[in-house]
Amino acid sequence: MKLQRFAVPSLLAVMSLLGCKLAEKSASPAATPIQPAVQYFKVDEAHVGTIKGTIRFAGKKPVAKLIDMSEDPACVEAHKGKAYDESLVVSRDGSVANAFVYIEKGFEGKTFEAPTTPVMIDQRGCWFRPRVMGIQTGQPLQVVNSDPVTHNIHPMGTVNREWNHSQGPGDEPILRKFPKTEVMIPVKCNIHSWMHTFIGAVDNPYFAVSGDDGSFTLPKLPPGTYTLAVWQEKLGTLKQQIEVTEGHDSVASITYKGQ
Amino acid sequence: MNRLLTVLRCTVAATLLVTISGCKTAVSAKPIGPTFAIQPPLGLPPLSIPPENPPTVASIALGRALFYDVRLSNDNSISCATCHNPVLNFTDGNKVSHGFGGHVGVRNAPPIVNAAYLRLQFWDGRAASLEEQAAFPISNPVEMNQSHDISVAKLAKDPEYAALFNKTFGPGGVTLQRIENALASFERTVLSGDSAFDRYLFRGERDALTPSQIRGFRIFIDTKRGNCSTCHTVNDTYALLTDGKAHNIGVGAGDAGAFSDMGRYPQTKADADRGAFMTPSLRDVARTAPYMHDGSLKTLKDVVDFYAGGGNSNPYLDKEIRTIVLSAQDRQDLVAFLESLNGTPPANVGPPKTVR
Repeated sequence: MKLQRFAVPSLLAVMSLLGCKLAEKSASPAATPIQPAVQYFKVDEAHVGTIKGTIRFAGKKPVAKLIDMSEDPACVEAHKGKAYDESLVVSRDGSVANAFVYIEKGFEGKTFEAPTTPVMIDQRGCWFRPRVMGIQTGQPLQVVNSDPVTHNIHPMGTVNREWNHSQGPGDEPILRKFPKTEVMIPVKCNIHSWMHTFIGAVDNPYFAVSGDDGSFTLPKLPPGTYTLAVWQEKLGTLKQQIEVTEGHDSVASITYKGQ
Repeated sequence: MNRLLTVLRCTVAATLLVTISGCKTAVSAKPIGPTFAIQPPLGLPPLSIPPENPPTVASIALGRALFYDVRLSNDNSISCATCHNPVLNFTDGNKVSHGFGGHVGVRNAPPIVNAAYLRLQFWDGRAASLEEQAAFPISNPVEMNQSHDISVAKLAKDPEYAALFNKTFGPGGVTLQRIENALASFERTVLSGDSAFDRYLFRGERDALTPSQIRGFRIFIDTKRGNCSTCHTVNDTYALLTDGKAHNIGVGAGDAGAFSDMGRYPQTKADADRGAFMTPSLRDVARTAPYMHDGSLKTLKDVVDFYAGGGNSNPYLDKEIRTIVLSAQDRQDLVAFLESLNGTPPANVGPPKTVR
């Protein structure tokens, strides 16, 4: 009898405890506010213009410095031929390659959906390829190691999180994202001191890297006034206002003054 | 009513007794007869042996037989030696282990060599002794996948085994605790020392190491260079080459502190143990590729490069892990030094002549 008297209240107590938990659980979803769905800005491609331009350097053409990879003989072999410093690549006529061009201002209040197609960095011949690249914030970055040696890629973000990751020969690609705008994120290899690349993370899809002829194109821009910014590793940043009108090419000629 | 209560009380007490005796069997699992003194080879300290399981010639021999016996697995296809193969320095040479029914595990089989010196067993340190460790893989569904009751029953059915257990531990036949104790005693004899490194450091044979290996050793112990011996310890009179602790070096780290394997964390719930794994000894390391808890690094060169690069960043990375500037020569020297840790293989640890 005693046992029964003891058992009944304790069972009740257990039930009421469970009841409390259940009540809490069912109440919790209502307590969290529902996030409003992000309204992505859609470009009306029937009414767009283009920015075309070239980047030049008026100073003395730098002499390309030879890179010494003898620290790692496997790299010397993997690189196949001489490697030259690419921090400032200027053609005979003064065209600047590897300059990063992007729309810095003009899209205030607009949110662009991030592409799902990754931007690639290949570590090949103990060299980052490409030297300069753009990525949209939230777009995946895919890092590949095509070398017979281990690399340790190290993007040194200050706005985005800094990280480094080891990648041995034949290892799976590394996938990462940069959630915030940051121009530029310097990237090094922790193992091979000569390896450098730069990533420009921008919250709109209008960015480009100049080719060997110094040219770049930013197509399918909505008409409007923008701030076009150009970054070059050695020469720094230049900005200019530019007007885009429907159906036209707006031309930007950008020249870095030299000494 | 009072009588009913008494009956109930008795039943409860009896049930408790049964439960307790079920955990700790009344049958003694302490080996009988004279204790066998295991002599560690050069470079290893004296063994610490639990007083309740002193090794005897019989318990070591029984443990050896059990270690190679496939009857401890569900379909009589897997023994301890399947993943801890003496030919492969008591590893399986695979990235991660393959167990019952083709199941693939998540971790690289660690060598049992010198496991006798580890305070905590397994990559995550979840067993506190060799005795405790022995039972896990037998019942693990992706390893040997056999309940302990069935293992005991299968062995007990073999009259020779039953006799061996009685001879080793006294009357009582086969029990789980006896299986664990015998396996642990056998494993305490699987010791590797007397390597070129040991002869150089502990016997003063200056030419036991090559100049490259000596340079590699200097980098290994220099906290400003390799900083290896901070965790892979070298003492004045012996070298276990492990500190017996868990560290996060970044292996298996994903984006923003995510891990493919949380390592020691589930055991301790300490943040520092997220993605942390027990430091493996480096003895015989050149014979135990691939490396790391997930077998993700194929060669010793890959391992040296991994550390040189500062591992993989994550919020729980051990503070001792940082980028190390090492020339190609330095790296070669380190690998050469690691090769000097190959010990003299222990005797009498292969499959017994008559597996019984």
